Amino acid sequence: KVERTDDKSYTIQPHFRKKFRPMQVEGIIQEALQEKLGKEKYNVDKAQKWTRELTEGIKTKLKDLNWDRYKYIVQVVIGEQRGEGIKMGTRSFWDSDTDNLAKATFSSDSMFAVAVVFGVYLY
Amino acid sequence: MDFNDETVFDKEQCIDILKKATEEVLGKQIYTQNLTGQWISNICEKCTKKLVALNKPFKYVVTCVIMQRNGAGLHTACSCFWDSANDGSCSYRLEDKSMYCIVTCFALAI
Repeated sequence: KVERTDDKSYTIQPHFRKKFRPMQVEGIIQEALQEKLGKEKYNVDKAQKWTRELTEGIKTKLKDLNWDRYKYIVQVVIGEQRGEGIKMGTRSFWDSDTDNLAKATFSSDSMFAVAVVFGVYLY
Repeated sequence: MDFNDETVFDKEQCIDILKKATEEVLGKQIYTQNLTGQWISNICEKCTKKLVALNKPFKYVVTCVIMQRNGAGLHTACSCFWDSANDGSCSYRLEDKSMYCIVTCFALAI
């Protein structure tokens, strides 16, 4: 069934089935982190490469979800596991009906990684 | 939709806001595990409030990472799928004797 949108109609809200779903995205990023970092040990040069590749990879997977009019921000933090304390927080000013975030963490003996995805709807 | 100067993201102004908020909250503090949660909330909320007060047609996302300084390495990266003409991001890093603080702000045009 194909939906035809008229030039003169304005969509203010995403379609119910095409709304940003945090649980679904969480699964995707958890999988991406596990796949990329599961067997690796922390390495300064590689970590830089990994963060970049992870963000690009996750972004590509999000585009495949085909949710209309959504903008995505993917942020990945990888750090060496040395017992230091670290805390990460976020605050947003958006429309909580249409916008949301999904996060996942990965932890191993040598490093930890956090990935956050923000999905923001464009009216 | 009419795009004029007001709807373009102003990086300089944003960095200034992040800088002031971070220095206000962290100032000369020493890293304390119990207080990090509070600091992050304060920094993020201050930034968000000031950004919103600019009255521009943007949605904002502010993230903050505070890490204890003990020799470990940290890497961050962001990838964004947005309208690069009007949306933007900026980040500010504060280095202290006891900790690192990285604040990033993303502004998405409505």
